[in-house]
Amino acid sequence: MAAFMTNLLKPWSPRLTLVRWTRYNPYYLEPETSRDAYNKPETELTPEEINERDLKTVRPIKAAVSGVSSSGFNDQLMNKFVNMMMQEGKKILAREIMTETLESIKRKQVEKYHKAGPAAKMEIECNPYAIFHQALENCKPVIGLASIQKGGKFYQVPIPLSDNRRRFLAMKWMITECRDHKHRRTHMCEKLSQELLAAFSSEGNVIKRKHELHKMAEANRAYAHYRWW
Amino acid sequence: MTLHRLSLRLRQAVTQARHLHSSRRGQQLEAVAVEPELPKELSFFRTRESDPACHAEVHMGQYYTLSPVHLRTVFPHGLPSRFQLQMKTFNETCVMVRQPALELISHLKKADYSKPAVRYMFYGANGCGKTISLCHALHYCYTQGWLVLHIPDAHLWVKNCKELLPSTFSPSRFDQPIEASHWLRNFKITNEPLLSKLKTTQRYVWTKRESTEEGRTLAELVEQGVARVRTSSDVVGALLKELRLQAGQPMEGRQEGFRLAVAVDGVNALWGRTSLKKEDKSVVAPEELTLIHNLRKMMKNDWCGGAVISSLSQTGSLFKPKDVYLPQELLGEDGFDDMDPFVPVPVSNYSEKESESCYLYYMDRNWLQHPHSRTEEGKKELLFLSNRNPNVLERLCASL
Repeated sequence: MAAFMTNLLKPWSPRLTLVRWTRYNPYYLEPETSRDAYNKPETELTPEEINERDLKTVRPIKAAVSGVSSSGFNDQLMNKFVNMMMQEGKKILAREIMTETLESIKRKQVEKYHKAGPAAKMEIECNPYAIFHQALENCKPVIGLASIQKGGKFYQVPIPLSDNRRRFLAMKWMITECRDHKHRRTHMCEKLSQELLAAFSSEGNVIKRKHELHKMAEANRAYAHYRWW
Repeated sequence: MTLHRLSLRLRQAVTQARHLHSSRRGQQLEAVAVEPELPKELSFFRTRESDPACHAEVHMGQYYTLSPVHLRTVFPHGLPSRFQLQMKTFNETCVMVRQPALELISHLKKADYSKPAVRYMFYGANGCGKTISLCHALHYCYTQGWLVLHIPDAHLWVKNCKELLPSTFSPSRFDQPIEASHWLRNFKITNEPLLSKLKTTQRYVWTKRESTEEGRTLAELVEQGVARVRTSSDVVGALLKELRLQAGQPMEGRQEGFRLAVAVDGVNALWGRTSLKKEDKSVVAPEELTLIHNLRKMMKNDWCGGAVISSLSQTGSLFKPKDVYLPQELLGEDGFDDMDPFVPVPVSNYSEKESESCYLYYMDRNWLQHPHSRTEEGKKELLFLSNRNPNVLERLCASL
């Protein structure tokens, strides 16, 4: 039955499929990776969830990506950042750099914590994941610029950005800043930990870049009406 | 155990007597009830007993704190690098009391030091805690007033040597001046008081113009080695020979002589292969290195008045596969024949109690930050992923 449906839906499929191609037929459903979804008892499910579960028993499911796990330590934002840092498909190296970064952030913060007095202890944030999330939040631009052509000239027009685009820009700026503008001989984990800690307290070059983008958008607000969407 | 309780009661009596005598502040003290010393356990995973001689089965699985003074003298170079990072982060040095170290300490307490030195060897899989157990036993030896000869990692002497000079003493051997002088400097920090009391028994000629006469203190000998880097490897050899001769002999001011603890981490380096090459690109064998040659003589049990505590190590070893850990496999035939007979002490992964203790220690030091790692499920996941191996658990918890 499933094979018959796939034949009807696909416009054309090549005889030879590439091994690492991720273009699935839309008939395939996403896998559910969190353990909590399966541990929910029958009584707590809403009618939509029950429908979804029944649908999953008959439809084919995509293969799970190797970067995602069902463990409680899995973090979507972290996975995205690791993928963006990865070069030439070296996922293990990118992941190791990420774990070393988290370790070095935690070491610096815990050292500060243990040397601080009891009043200061409450202020210090030691969780590297919280610092990472907050730092990226602080780096996200609120408004962006688009190059729009009007009357033969290109104008930089301020536009609202989608959430995905903002997240992408924050991560991209962070990675390029650490790769290009720091000393050549320091390790990436060191550079990243310094930049993330600075962004957490709203300092550093990435935050500066975000502010410059905001200023440009503010300067070009006269052209805002060129946007038609 | 009874001695321990007795000392506790005596301490109570002393504190009570002290309170009775300071009557000027008597009123304040009456408000604060004369409380007996708190029991030696602060919590499930910590103990207040910081003297390794008093550690017993009761303290197994608990962490004891090393005082900074002892740390600076006993371990100027002895602790593994990851442990040093942990010391810096947590602002304290805590070592877990485990069964292999306790076994070794009990052997050391009961041994007869008029007989030839007994050789003990820690062995076990990678990351099980052999080096830390060695350091624990060494701390015990230091607190008992022994002379501590600690080579933190013998593998560092057989690889990555920047300067390899032909030996001044014997033409077929090679010297390693940097490693030897660095080690002598740390040796001096550990053993300053004892070294100034011991004297040399023969005259040593280093070069045409320099020599050390008979009857000079060993501290001067070590100074000579630190100052004149070229002859430092020969100084190490002379020092080892002197210590071998004088351990167990009665010295001035004492009836019995001092006891010598030779602690070598990574003993299998002495009989393995080196990664060093001579100028004609041929491989240097370990016996062609002065330091290794002299250390091998130290490993023989032809001297009295001390003990040889060693541990095997695959992590720093050269040309050995990753999964070997048994003494026969790591030492090779020559090594095993040279070290035979020895007392093997196996070191294994954490038991349930020890892993519980480790988890609680990390929680106490605010090290486990991820909210999932603080739950019961997260703890089970960590222990499963690491298979209760101390090193792997530490690396996992580092990024969580």
